[in-house]
Amino acid sequence: MNRTLRCLAASLVVAGCSRQKPPEHSLRIAIINDPIMNAPLSPDIGSVLINKVIFPGLVRPSDSLTPEPDLATSWTISADGRQYTFALRPGVVWHDGRPFSAADVKFTFDQILDPSSGTLQWSDFSVVDSVTVANTLTVRFWLKSTFAPFLTLLGHNAGIIPAHAFSGRIADAVGFNRSKPIGTGPFQVVESVPGSYIVLAANPRYYGAKPKLERIIFKIVPDVNAQVAQLQAAELDLVTLEPANLRGVESEPELRIDQVSVPQHYYIGFNQSRPLFQPAAIRRALTLAVNRQAIIDGVLRGFADYPQGTIPVALRDYYADSLPKIPYDTTAALALFAESGWRRGADGVLADRSGTRFQFTLLVDKGNPSREQTSVAVQQDLKKIGVAVTINTMEFASMVRDYVVPHRYDAYLVWWNTPLDPDQFSYYGSGQSNNDVVYSNRIADSLLAAGRATLDPVKRRQAYVAFQAVEAVDPPVLVLYYPREIQVRRAVLQGLPPLGIRDALRHSERLHFEPR
Amino acid sequence: MLRLLGARLFQGLIVLWLVTTATFVLIHAAPGGPAVLADPKLSPVERVAIERQLGIDRPLPVQYLTWQSSMLRGDLGRSFLYQTPILDTVLDRLPNTLLLVVLAVAVALAIALPVGLYVGARPDTAADRLVATVNFTALAIPPFWFGIVALLVVAARWRLLPAGGMMTPGADGSVIDRLRHLILPVTVLAFPISAELIRFIRAAVRGGRAAPHVTPAVARGVGSRGVTRQHVLRNALLPVLTVLGLQVPMLVGGAAVTETVFAWPGMGRLGVEAALGRDYPLVMGIALVVAATVVVANILLDLAYVWADPRVRTAS
Repeated sequence: MNRTLRCLAASLVVAGCSRQKPPEHSLRIAIINDPIMNAPLSPDIGSVLINKVIFPGLVRPSDSLTPEPDLATSWTISADGRQYTFALRPGVVWHDGRPFSAADVKFTFDQILDPSSGTLQWSDFSVVDSVTVANTLTVRFWLKSTFAPFLTLLGHNAGIIPAHAFSGRIADAVGFNRSKPIGTGPFQVVESVPGSYIVLAANPRYYGAKPKLERIIFKIVPDVNAQVAQLQAAELDLVTLEPANLRGVESEPELRIDQVSVPQHYYIGFNQSRPLFQPAAIRRALTLAVNRQAIIDGVLRGFADYPQGTIPVALRDYYADSLPKIPYDTTAALALFAESGWRRGADGVLADRSGTRFQFTLLVDKGNPSREQTSVAVQQDLKKIGVAVTINTMEFASMVRDYVVPHRYDAYLVWWNTPLDPDQFSYYGSGQSNNDVVYSNRIADSLLAAGRATLDPVKRRQAYVAFQAVEAVDPPVLVLYYPREIQVRRAVLQGLPPLGIRDALRHSERLHFEPR
Repeated sequence: MLRLLGARLFQGLIVLWLVTTATFVLIHAAPGGPAVLADPKLSPVERVAIERQLGIDRPLPVQYLTWQSSMLRGDLGRSFLYQTPILDTVLDRLPNTLLLVVLAVAVALAIALPVGLYVGARPDTAADRLVATVNFTALAIPPFWFGIVALLVVAARWRLLPAGGMMTPGADGSVIDRLRHLILPVTVLAFPISAELIRFIRAAVRGGRAAPHVTPAVARGVGSRGVTRQHVLRNALLPVLTVLGLQVPMLVGGAAVTETVFAWPGMGRLGVEAALGRDYPLVMGIALVVAATVVVANILLDLAYVWADPRVRTAS
């Protein structure tokens, strides 16, 4: 008895003895929540990531960020840019063996175009008037107007779901959404344990290159410290981390840290419906007074690019590399304040002739060290030129819903994470639905409208370079930095395309382990 | 006996009603709203559609009455976050938490009973002081920190035990594999419970040995061990039951930290996710299930008192 117990105890703790290893060629990726495996629904990042693997779209972003064929093999665009005809890949079958056809594409977009279906992609495709089936392998999109980002958006989150799997609302298909989704991707779900993990096995009938991995396992690990520990314990192979979490990972010889520029810009938005922030000179002055290099080096430990406008360097075809980057120049900032009638009072704070002090409250979401530290750095920088900033930390959801969307705020620190397209009309166009900073500049409006209304890449670039020049004079927001996504992977994991994790997972069949 | 049970059950129902009503008021008083609405990218059209689907476009009293009436029909609604029926979602997770908690209590008892009895019989010796020191350390260490350190040292550095989850995903899910995944979270959870129990047992044994009924036994020549076993042990168990009763709600709801650190798919973690995501129906469902578990556990404890304490038996 005693011996049996001792053996059991030994086998429980001794590594080599009975350590359960998943079979080789299993990639383990962390996500923070139980995903909803249905592409048009995808309410959170975990769902978005796994759905990229399960549900391919008509196109996907190539390594050079442009749309390349996926479920569609080719497409034609009418002269007015309002009608897209896609030839679909023949012989594609769903994970359950049923054939894929144009009816599935129409079904998917009928869901996306109906906000009551539970989809979160309606605004991406609100320009689409209708989708029609020309024949089994041809599908046509009719647009209300020319819309340049359309193809990119098709390759973004718009994975195609099977019409035959649903009889009612797609949001009510609990079995499909939570444990038995059916896609056409290189990996299919074989096991789903709520709160624990989802196992995907290579799809033998995948239409593209044969998947090199046998399995991809999405493990649900909500806590970032636990993710780091699991990475170190060789129980995860790929995780995206923030700079603050990298300590302890950097020294591991088995791990590699990759940095990828992603289409995001972090910024401080000023509420321009408030008189304080209406003058362009004031916003320009605030922009000049922040020491971004110190934030990038100190808070982000170098994992970010120095900004210039709201179009990040990751969108290399549209980033205006000819324009100067935003300087750090407190003298120029103070001069701009002085021109607008703001002088420093006895307490060092800027005040106008009526004695109103230049002070505002900056909202920042709680719990993210990079953003919290950045807000403090900005507060200190602005204090140096006499601007009094009070920081109010709160939950992200509360910040957005209670303050930003109803425009009940002075300033907030947030970011936009965009598709691989420079279109920012809905963020910075006058009166647009995502323009929560209430920016309004007629030249910017016409440039942003022109940028989405032409398909000619040269003309698009001209429009967006001109927009960035406008931003230098009349900044819509105070751009802080363009973050780089930090992908930490086991060194033996190869084949990741040089894209952000969301887009990289559109190429999951290329991932493989290469023993050194 | 039956009357006691009936009275306790009736009280339990009132507790459940109070708990769910208070939860409803509190979670709706919290700022923000359902996580899905936190996306600044949503257009007004989508916001309105989502609010209608979630049923949060209606006045709060209507939402409360709707919840009550469907609850009475056994329908706890659908989770905002998971889009699944609440009862299924919670019952998926409850056994995992119970496994963790029951094992932690068992381990804590297995350590606390012998240690508590031993040091209780030997007050102010070196052993007593050592145990007291370890105890205070165990109670002072935040479980979150202890969990992370255990993870980083035992799992990440030494790679002796798995770093998280209930079993190795994609493996065969053998008993050994599951036990290995249990060791760290159970230890982290059991550590402070056992410290708490030792303190009470030690005090009870010390007090018990000084009680008037023990002195004659000592005078009759009963040895130290016999005194403990025959005259002190059962009395010493009463505070243990009290402490366990007080710990149950903290354990069922409060394993959240341990569950989060060890990626354990339990109720506590689910509750934290639900509260942070403002998943109103899920928060309500969890409050109901946790409250019901606590009520049942307390009824069981009352029955245990009846067994352990003859005075309660005669009184009832």
